[in-house]
Amino acid sequence: MSSAQIEIQLIASIVAVACAIPGTFLVLRKMAMISDAISHSILPGIVIGFFITHNLNSPLLILFAAFTGIITVVLVEYIQKTNLVKEDTAIGLVFPALFSIGVILIAKNANDVHLDVDAVLLGELAFAPFDRLIINGADVGPKSLWIVGSILLITLTLLITFFKELKVSTFDKGLAASLGFSPAIIHYGLMSVSSVTTVGAFDAVGAILVVALMIAPAATAYLLTTDLKKMLVLAVGFGIFSAIMGYWVAHWLDASIAGSITTILGLVFLMVYLFAPSKGIIAVLYREKQQRIEVSLLTFLLHLKNHDELEERHVKHLNEHINWQKVRSKSVLDLAQKNNMIHIENQIVSLTEKGDAFTSKAIDYIITNRDAQIEDMKDDFFLFRG
Amino acid sequence: MSKIAVKVDDLTVAYNYKPVLWDIDLEIPEGVLMAIVGPNGAGKSTLIKSILGILKPIAGSVSIYGKPYDKQRQKVAYVPQKGSVDWDFPTTALDVVMMGTYGSLGWIKRPGQKEKKAALEALEKVGMLSFKSRQISQLSGGQQQRIFLARALVQNAAIYFMDEPFQGVDASTEIAIINILKALRKAGKTVIVVHHDLQTVPEYFDWVTFLNVKKIATGPVKDIFNDDNLTKTYGINYKVSIQE
Repeated sequence: MSSAQIEIQLIASIVAVACAIPGTFLVLRKMAMISDAISHSILPGIVIGFFITHNLNSPLLILFAAFTGIITVVLVEYIQKTNLVKEDTAIGLVFPALFSIGVILIAKNANDVHLDVDAVLLGELAFAPFDRLIINGADVGPKSLWIVGSILLITLTLLITFFKELKVSTFDKGLAASLGFSPAIIHYGLMSVSSVTTVGAFDAVGAILVVALMIAPAATAYLLTTDLKKMLVLAVGFGIFSAIMGYWVAHWLDASIAGSITTILGLVFLMVYLFAPSKGIIAVLYREKQQRIEVSLLTFLLHLKNHDELEERHVKHLNEHINWQKVRSKSVLDLAQKNNMIHIENQIVSLTEKGDAFTSKAIDYIITNRDAQIEDMKDDFFLFRG
Repeated sequence: MSKIAVKVDDLTVAYNYKPVLWDIDLEIPEGVLMAIVGPNGAGKSTLIKSILGILKPIAGSVSIYGKPYDKQRQKVAYVPQKGSVDWDFPTTALDVVMMGTYGSLGWIKRPGQKEKKAALEALEKVGMLSFKSRQISQLSGGQQQRIFLARALVQNAAIYFMDEPFQGVDASTEIAIINILKALRKAGKTVIVVHHDLQTVPEYFDWVTFLNVKKIATGPVKDIFNDDNLTKTYGINYKVSIQE
């Protein structure tokens, strides 16, 4: 690996981490689309900032552009507050307007600088190592590495310092307000961090990938855990993995780095979406199937409990009487036998003691809907897991 | 006459210039278990939220033991409506209860062993200790409400505001909750509850406020919970027989 390759992967990974952190909270606050709005509408901020500073890497430009991001949020909220349009419509109105102002400004005034619409949309990660930071004549690395590194450091510090406040105001705005943690301050704090991160990552990965880096890792992590800290760690992990994998895919395919990273992010999400242990599609389908069988089992057990007559408990009769297909009858019978709930003698089915106790308990639960009684059953049966 | 816990003066609250609460004067004495009743849209939740500074009134003032709410946060605990939060949030029952301690910690400081112990005790009081590590979406509606109640208990406040704590809970949880509220009153706390079920008002509460944009009446249940005030509040001819 050349040092340029390492630098590109390092920048991509740092950007991924810096995006995943605010992204996690945006996803939990159901504000994913706001990151899309910010990523587009900071463009006029970058262009105007560039006219003022004449330097694409100036911290002042980053602040200026981030400020445009905040304006976006304020405008969206203002339009929404009038109750004339809904939030998604307000977002759809604000960011294309601001973005197009940026596009016009570039076309009219910035033809001669390294700022064109392609770069804005997709970034130029491959060129990042060429723009070096020189201090006292010494080369200390690519400028973008320093920029995104500083942004990550600020984000991490804020996250660790205000983790508690972020958590409570994200989960329960009303409680946060009544406890004296102003939800507005935390909201705009998060929006500021998101904006600064977006601007910092913009040059490296472009307006479209920034959104993917913010939302995809967090959405993927959300499917895997029920713990906020783990969700953050997983989101960061998915971000880094996709950044590095994406780089090498781009290398092998000789394609855009930004595009490859986004593709990997999408694939990682797809895999987790399908195979996540409890929230994944396959797990959900399996659970639904199990629940269907268990409902059948319960119906069957109840039938046995209600009937003493031998003819009602004959295997053949059960098939016809309960009106199930053979396969279903067999799987229910197998499940009941596996759990020692029934025994079959001369084709006559009877409840065992365990089966009898289970049936009473389950019926009791279904009638009273009291949870405490069935805690021990939840481990064995999906049906009772709510 | 006992001390006044909450005093509301000339409070008017509006959404988009439409008044939801109109010139409310209210004094809640210390140590009562009070129901706020009124039809949908009467401003019951709004009243609580305005007292707690979550909504900004367009006129009027609120004081908690004679001082503004900002200065008295530690004395007040709030249980929002269960439906006001996303129960799919990635966190556990214990963690939600711990959030009740955040107010006394203030900004930045993290909860430690002391806060955890208090949270576990509160979970015990509401009978939810065995669920402490359960992800909150895996709890039933009644259990979620108990978690919210535990979170308020952990604040160890003097005044408790609860927004429809009995909404969507089963009968056993309702009894458990009202027993805790009665225990709070016995301990000298003031408890204010937005309540929907008029039938249970005489049984559960000793103080009541009738609200319908304006305040209709406030006072002891035995004196003012009558057909006259119910009719004034609900606008239809209301007949309940509370005297057995």
